[in-house]
Amino acid sequence: MAAQNLIETNNLTKQYGKVRCVNALNMKVPQGAVYGFLGPNGAGKSTTLKMILGLAKPTDGSITLFNTPVNDKNRIKLLADTGSLIESPSYYGHLTGEENLYILQTLKGCPKADIDEVLKIVRLNEARKKKVGHYSLGMKQRLGLAAALLGFPKLLILDEPTNGLDPAGIQEMRELICTLPSDYGITVVVSSHLLSEIDQMADHVGIIRKGELVYQDTLKSLHTHAKQQIALRTDQPASVISLLHQDGIEVGKEDDYLLLPMMEDAYVAHLCRKMIEQNIALYRVEKREKSLEDIFLSLTGKESSL
Amino acid sequence: MKTLQLEFYKIKRRKVWLTMFALLSVQLLWGLWAFRNPKDWELESGWLSLLHLLSLLDGIMVPTMMSVLASRLADIEHKGNTYKQLETLRSAGSLYHAKAVCGSMIIMLMFAAQFAFFILLGYHLGYEGNPDVKYYLLSYGLKVASNISLFLLQLALSMVFANQMIPLVAGLGGSMAALLLMFVSTYSFLPWGGNLSASLVRSEWDEVSRISTYCYRTFSPLETAAVVCIFVWIAVFYAAGRILFTRREV
Repeated sequence: MAAQNLIETNNLTKQYGKVRCVNALNMKVPQGAVYGFLGPNGAGKSTTLKMILGLAKPTDGSITLFNTPVNDKNRIKLLADTGSLIESPSYYGHLTGEENLYILQTLKGCPKADIDEVLKIVRLNEARKKKVGHYSLGMKQRLGLAAALLGFPKLLILDEPTNGLDPAGIQEMRELICTLPSDYGITVVVSSHLLSEIDQMADHVGIIRKGELVYQDTLKSLHTHAKQQIALRTDQPASVISLLHQDGIEVGKEDDYLLLPMMEDAYVAHLCRKMIEQNIALYRVEKREKSLEDIFLSLTGKESSL
Repeated sequence: MKTLQLEFYKIKRRKVWLTMFALLSVQLLWGLWAFRNPKDWELESGWLSLLHLLSLLDGIMVPTMMSVLASRLADIEHKGNTYKQLETLRSAGSLYHAKAVCGSMIIMLMFAAQFAFFILLGYHLGYEGNPDVKYYLLSYGLKVASNISLFLLQLALSMVFANQMIPLVAGLGGSMAALLLMFVSTYSFLPWGGNLSASLVRSEWDEVSRISTYCYRTFSPLETAAVVCIFVWIAVFYAAGRILFTRREV
């Protein structure tokens, strides 16, 4: 049975003036997934997440959370089971970390013991009595995550959560995010402009480009696109195609090259021998590899950062 | 209710009370200086002159204080980018309402303290009789209302604009306008002139004897309208601020 989707958007659109930041987006986040929301800077990731959280009003389209269409009346009730960290962490600099969490814990109505637990999870226990204004950027980011985790919601929405963290902190954050579904039953939506980051955290991925969702599926499926091929250039491509068809091999074409699926070295040698026997000139035989980066760039445009 | 309680929790260490206490201290020092060595005729009309002095002092000092108070309550949210988190837990309207009520309660407490201080001062100076409870209560109520209207205007600006210079400049400009009005009129429809319009005591300066006499003011229709206007401003500023705040996107 297919997993239930915790978030579903239907033609979600946001327009500022004449600029369409998000265009007819149909996002589906399955329960229990770590959904990587990937796209270059300015692609519309934050705007989409803000619309899901009700912080920005969609120009068009609809949002369904926990199988219930969101409207102004039920928004807060539906979001009670959601934690979020959008762009930069929210905090009161003149209050301590613990006091900041107390405010959110009171508003969420979750047990006070959650404060201790989330502080332990993000390793801010020792700094709990320190004013947040004196925290480093990384500590503030971790406090933001702790705030999002309060009440251990069913859904966690994290917008670029590794911003401002040092390499060790980034690694720690990734590991934490990966364990959230199994340890706490939390579904995570995590946005990033870094493919490598999403590759290490997510099991589902949505790629957004100029406000449009250009890819959405499991990460495994994206990896299958990253296949290896054999490229071959010859003076008689039609003859080679017929040779390959005799062996039941499908052939693709790209510019002057024939693209063959990855095959054993022995078969490549056998093919070359046959071509020589039939006086077919063989100019080049190359191994081609389409990496995740290539796929990402082809989906989002060459200007994207990785 | 929780949201309101948290508003008071959030202003911990923000020294909001200290600002209010500083204002009251300055006013008290001013009062002590103004009523030093009181003459017999001053002791006779002491309770009336006290109400008159309070109106003057508040007209000069409090409008700026209201912009400071509104700014102190709102800028903690702007500085920490907290609206994007809070608005996933509470509606923008209820967050706005909590700020408005919190500020109004501070204003009520501040003026209660002010009246208590000055009544004690009156007894200390030996004013004749007791303060007229009816007029003192009415004066307190009008003062609170006029300053809440001003606070709500400032709050609307402070909540909507992240740059607190905008509401502060508006507050200072309004205070200056109200101060100038005090020289030419006994009332004002401007929100900053509420302290002037709501004054219940009138003074008359006799150039020959160089003595000021005080009496309760009789309100002309326009002056009454200016007092009613205070309550209209409360409704208008609250509604406008709330609508502007809830319509904006984080």
